[in-house]
Amino acid sequence: MIMLVILIPMIAGVLIPLIPFKKRTQMEVFLEGIVILNSLLVWYLLLHRTESIFTLANFTGNLSISFRADGMSMVFGGLVSALWPFATLYAFEYMTKEEHEKVFFMFYTMTYGVTLGISMAANLLTMYFFYELLTLVTVPLVMHTLTREAILASRKYLYYSLGGAAFAFIGLIFVIIYGTSTNFVFGGVLDSEKIGTRTNVLLLVYVIAFMGFGVKAALCPFNSWLPRAGVAPTPVTALLHAVAVVKSGAFAIIRLTYYSFGIEFVRGTWAQNVLMAIVLFTIIYGCSRALKETHLKRRLAYSTISNLSYILFGVVMMTPAGLVGALSHLVFHAVMKICSFFCAGAVMHQTDRVYVHELNGMGRKMPCVFGIFTVSSLGLMGVPGLAGFISKWNLAAAAVESGNRMAVVGIGCLLVSALLTAMYMLTIVIRGFFPENDFDMDTIKDVKDPDWKMLLPLFVFSFFIIAFGLDSSRIVEFFGNVAAGVY
Amino acid sequence: MRYIALSILFPIAAGVYLLVRKEPKNRKVLLAMTGVFLLLSAFWAALAICLGGKGMYTLFNLTDRLPILFKIDEVSILFSVLAAVIFLCAGSFSFVYMKHEQKEKRFYGYYLIVMGVFTALCFAGNLITFYLFFELLTLSSFPLVLHNGKKESVMAALKYLFYSLSGAYLSLFGLYFVEKYGNTLTFSAGGVISEQAAAGHGGILLVTAFFMLLGFGVKAGMFPMHSWLSTAHPAAPAPASAVLSAVIVKAGVLALVRVVFYSYGVSFLRGTWVQSAWLVLTLLTIFMGSMLACREPVLKKRLAFSTISQVSYILFGLAVMNGDSIAGGLFHVLCHGFVKAALFLCAGVIIYATGKTRVEELRGIGKEMPFTMCCYTVVSLGLIGIPPMGGFISKWYLAQGALSSGIRVIGWLGPVVLLISALLTAGYLLPISVHGFLPGEDYDYGKLQKKEPPLLMRVPILVLTVLSVAMGLLPGRVLDYLQQLMEKIV
Repeated sequence: MIMLVILIPMIAGVLIPLIPFKKRTQMEVFLEGIVILNSLLVWYLLLHRTESIFTLANFTGNLSISFRADGMSMVFGGLVSALWPFATLYAFEYMTKEEHEKVFFMFYTMTYGVTLGISMAANLLTMYFFYELLTLVTVPLVMHTLTREAILASRKYLYYSLGGAAFAFIGLIFVIIYGTSTNFVFGGVLDSEKIGTRTNVLLLVYVIAFMGFGVKAALCPFNSWLPRAGVAPTPVTALLHAVAVVKSGAFAIIRLTYYSFGIEFVRGTWAQNVLMAIVLFTIIYGCSRALKETHLKRRLAYSTISNLSYILFGVVMMTPAGLVGALSHLVFHAVMKICSFFCAGAVMHQTDRVYVHELNGMGRKMPCVFGIFTVSSLGLMGVPGLAGFISKWNLAAAAVESGNRMAVVGIGCLLVSALLTAMYMLTIVIRGFFPENDFDMDTIKDVKDPDWKMLLPLFVFSFFIIAFGLDSSRIVEFFGNVAAGVY
Repeated sequence: MRYIALSILFPIAAGVYLLVRKEPKNRKVLLAMTGVFLLLSAFWAALAICLGGKGMYTLFNLTDRLPILFKIDEVSILFSVLAAVIFLCAGSFSFVYMKHEQKEKRFYGYYLIVMGVFTALCFAGNLITFYLFFELLTLSSFPLVLHNGKKESVMAALKYLFYSLSGAYLSLFGLYFVEKYGNTLTFSAGGVISEQAAAGHGGILLVTAFFMLLGFGVKAGMFPMHSWLSTAHPAAPAPASAVLSAVIVKAGVLALVRVVFYSYGVSFLRGTWVQSAWLVLTLLTIFMGSMLACREPVLKKRLAFSTISQVSYILFGLAVMNGDSIAGGLFHVLCHGFVKAALFLCAGVIIYATGKTRVEELRGIGKEMPFTMCCYTVVSLGLIGIPPMGGFISKWYLAQGALSSGIRVIGWLGPVVLLISALLTAGYLLPISVHGFLPGEDYDYGKLQKKEPPLLMRVPILVLTVLSVAMGLLPGRVLDYLQQLMEKIV
């Protein structure tokens, strides 16, 4: 069953260029059908999951490729499979303006399977395998336009990701040597007898592996690939570079911290302090760069950098409450950021405008898109009643709870970052809705909202931003159970 | 209970409806609708106060520990009455004034939303609800500032927005800690900090309390985050300036009342460094605001600087933390509200009828519009604090409270600063009346034209003037009411 949901999208992806579709609509129906079917399967699987481990291949000793759906898989796999059908729908409309879309949809759909593979991997080796695979299938998506800029960007993306994975590999080896197994076990697998006095070495390895996976999560100083990769078509930037790829990095770090090394081992050591300092710096750094950036999609990419570090901030608190904060931001940020990226994409699609200063008066002409963009901006800022507030509340409450001084400073960073978020998001909103007097509305008189394929995902996402903001008790309770190791 | 929900949701819904609907063909239709909406909103608020009862009313829960709930207590009533009166007066004033501005529909839409949000702020029953509507207040009121769409106005609105948001986030920092170390987030007189939980964490709690004071103080124009106020308030159309200066800044005051007396509690903060620092900041603001107002040549800006100074009178009263001074401060909330709204409306009338904005152009204005300038002079006297006007009574209580508080240095320095500031207030308000009525011998009476505004503009000004005089002549009821409140919170 688990293999099925991972393989269906990959096979379907490969089939796309092979099947001779007569019309584009046929391909759309085929693809959307596959994606929806697969998402339903994933949800069925996650809701009726069993604890058993499915082993595909066994190498030597305790090295195997095996899968299992646990609580964390439910969070990440559920998130990804909920977003994918909408993103595909959006992509149909968006890609009408781009060329060789078959290749695009091939890799796009394959990525779905690979991401699910990461979410359901049962041990470090399997996760590592899919993690590398993810890099490889997404590189063609980044270089899709085949401009010089895109090729350079994808090359940068490739080198950064592979380099990061190499660092993470060091962690893998040490877990194999010093752990009881490589399987993910809540609380960690390190064997204290084997470690003996080599605690500091292992902490160093932990930091290296954290930074290695942190490359995909755009941790400073390894973040510069993410804004560059914004040259990709918007469905890619929105789904992959705001959710699937970057959150795989965060997800891998959670697996590494909570399921391999164990929080007891790291909490209160120098490693925690170093990592928290890096994470907090990234939060502020990403926001400040976003404020300076005038290219809309790159601005959102920098915002992603900062928000990913919110998640990592929750992770490095090394408490269950911190993990709850991290998971809630992982899910809520995904919805908010994909929503704002799709809005940016809709503006690009309708008007070919990419810079913030070109957006004067757009809100008057595209009320739906800009209205939803406003909702997602307010959500990212953390206005109560929207999803972002809840995740920030969970993070801050966990930081107060943890009693860690640096975490209290971290709350300050979160709030500074929230202010900067307000600055870089609301200036766009204000430009859109309240152009200055001397602005001539006739220059944009042909602009209008896109059609339903683009609007439907936007409405669904904005609905969830509000719904999670208004009543989050059940989902947060679920995160609490995951973070306590119940699932 | 449902009246509370109505009094909040009705104006917001009405405002959104105005924003979304098409431009009506006839201006009168728009005005009639707005008028009805305003009256109904005030009516619902009145019903909520009269029939709402003392119970708590939970709208829904954000999470298990974060309910959005409303409760009406004495402080709510004080602020919501002020808001209703001023929103109605400035609203009817704007029916004439906004004729020469564009995009009226948008103005009334946001005006109504702001009214609803402020009412919600008054009725908020816990910190999280308060915080929610505090952010919404900022977000719904900045369109009023940038209304005329000039570059300066847009920049002023951005300044307002980001100052206010940074204040809100500063206070959010404290909110996390109140939630952790308090019994509940619900406001209760005397504070909610649990002694057991807070034991050993007094230091950090004081720091967070100070952050909250600074943060919410931004909205009240407290030094060092005051500079948005003198930029943003004059940029708005006159009725909006009146509302901003008379009501919206009071959201900051209300916030500080809720934080100090209903969350941290007087007993927790009295005598700490937080109190001393707060006192110093308020006195600095009082003095600085008055000084800046004196050298400001643009009338509306001068009034905005005056707001900075006057609101810190209120904050000074709260910071002294004894019964008399707090009562004086809360009394000044009403006095300053009525007076400042009247002053801004007078400035609006002058702009509307003559287009003049600078003080030195106003020579002989009293001859042109005697009614307006009479009202202006009367309320100015109230702000300066000449008996028997309202301002005198609030200052009397403020000074009495400070002198009997036993706080070293500030105890006597405070009243001295109040006196100096009163002098400065006279210095920046009265010259306009003097030159207006006594333009000097070289004034050309031949050119004199009567330029009195239409009735719909005069009535609100008159109402506000009468109210501010009444505050001075018949303060008994209000003072008794405040004294009862003091017994609960001090």
